[in-house]
Amino acid sequence: MIALFENMVLNPIISVGTFARFSGRAFTTSCSSCVKTKAYPLILTQMNLIGVNSVPIVMVTGAFVGMILAIQAYDQLAGMGLEEHLGVLINVSVVKELGPVLAAVMLAGRVGGALTAELGTMKVTEQIEAVKSMGTDPVRYLVAPRVLACLFLTPLLIIYADLMGVLGGYFVGVIQLGINSKAYWTFSAEGVELWDVSIGVIKGFFFGGAIAVISCYKGFTCREGAHGVGRACTEAFVMSFISILALDFALAVIFKAIYNTLWSVKSLV
Amino acid sequence: MKNNNNKNVIIRTENLLKRFEENLVLNDVSMSIEKGKTTVIIGPSGCGKTVFIKHLIVLLRPTSGKVYYKNKRVDELDEDELSSIRTNFGFLFQSGALFDSLTVTENVLFPIRQHIMHIEKKQADELVASKLSMVGLDGFQDYYPAKLSGGQKKRVALARAIALNPEVILYDEPTTGLDPIRSDIINELIIKLQKELGITSIVVTHDMTSAYKISDQIIMFHKGKIFAEGDADTIRNHPNQTVQQFINGRVDSEDLKALKGGKTTLFNDFTNSYR
Ligand SMILES: Nc1ncnc2c1ncn2[C@@H]1O[C@H](COP(=O)(O)OP(=O)(O)OP(=O)(O)O)[C@@H](O)[C@H]1O
Ligand SMILES: [Mg+2]
Repeated sequence: MIALFENMVLNPIISVGTFARFSGRAFTTSCSSCVKTKAYPLILTQMNLIGVNSVPIVMVTGAFVGMILAIQAYDQLAGMGLEEHLGVLINVSVVKELGPVLAAVMLAGRVGGALTAELGTMKVTEQIEAVKSMGTDPVRYLVAPRVLACLFLTPLLIIYADLMGVLGGYFVGVIQLGINSKAYWTFSAEGVELWDVSIGVIKGFFFGGAIAVISCYKGFTCREGAHGVGRACTEAFVMSFISILALDFALAVIFKAIYNTLWSVKSLV
Repeated sequence: MKNNNNKNVIIRTENLLKRFEENLVLNDVSMSIEKGKTTVIIGPSGCGKTVFIKHLIVLLRPTSGKVYYKNKRVDELDEDELSSIRTNFGFLFQSGALFDSLTVTENVLFPIRQHIMHIEKKQADELVASKLSMVGLDGFQDYYPAKLSGGQKKRVALARAIALNPEVILYDEPTTGLDPIRSDIINELIIKLQKELGITSIVVTHDMTSAYKISDQIIMFHKGKIFAEGDADTIRNHPNQTVQQFINGRVDSEDLKALKGGKTTLFNDFTNSYR
């Protein structure tokens, strides 16, 4: 009975506590790393690994999102004779929701998986203890550069995804399905505001931060052995994915409230 | 008595007790280690030697008991304060624990880069070369750990542990996996560091030749307690049966019985029974 209580109630609370402590520490160390020139080479290396190498995959994701949306939405709109509005629909969805979320999910798989596996292996082979034993804070040396790289580069990667999504939608909508190009762009330009694009990019900060902190945490708390590392990777991905969706929902609510107080409700068509 | 030689004591543990869930690993270990002396810790595999020396730099925190470094209690400090204390230590991990994404050079330079702001490239190369030649590995600078043999990894790890010329070096089985000549070179290295730089060493080892050669004090652990202590001669001539069996590497009759009684089943027997 007591063991059951411990498993069901106590342990989850304890893990939430350690995760919160870890994130707090990761955040403060990252901030202080920003102003230390010594940390820059580490951050740049991570930016290269995390950001630059993810560009192709994120662009492919974006392009497909745009193309699929165009194909799916065209018939509905054409039925109402509104096909020239296709651009607004695609572009708003891409820059506000699908681009950021799907790009972040790709990154959770590509980057998060690699981070957890790397740090988990280091933990299991005592390398993290070795960092500590030499008087270096492993959070500063290992976590902060990764968190900063994710934080800064996820928004940039989302811009790439957006760009490709817009082009993909244009390709299918105008070139394949023959919508008038001028009308397509005019309606798009009227419908998509800077606000929509900014929301998507701001989401990128939150998604990137969540992916990095969760993946590093899972690596640092990895259990012994190959099995432990495998499990940590799976858990890191699942947790990142759920957090991305939850954050997306929370941010959607918040941004909507902000928008409605500043301007009035906007319709897509 | 404790206060008399407090001045020379650099590390002290008081009633150290460590429990991993149900498993009591260290049970009430009190020990003083004098500055500039070499202390050798011996004991059966799994008796908690590694766990004990990890407590000395608080990589593990005791369940109860205290750890002092230079009369300052360290087991309750937070990680930031510990970081600065740990720069006085070198720690050779039993597994080596080299950073496998860094080359040998970068591994050896790691503690230096972390704590000394700037170092010229030429100076760094010289330093790495001199540390590596101490362990007989000059010329391996650009290798990655994956390409080194077990004993070579151990020696690179040793070079990394001594890179900062720390005050105290903790060696976890420095000669395990090395051939007899290499082992003796490591012994000489430990003695040299003590003589020339006055470094305090704590050495965990199973190698009794090495233990007799380098030690000022030998401490034997058994079942999480200090079982015997004294200088090399005291231990060599220790009256206790268990100590004698351990240092001479003799199996006791109980263990032997277990070995003889157990049925050795060959793979053939399994396959035969399926025929
Ligand atoms: N992180 C840990 N979690 C749980 N138990 C542990 C942990 N580390 C060590 N132990 C337990 O502590 C005991 C002592 O381990 P330790 O590594 O100190 O042995 P040792 O004396 O160094 O042995 P060896 O000579 O084989 O290296 C073992 O029974 C082990 O199961
Ligand atoms: Mg050990």
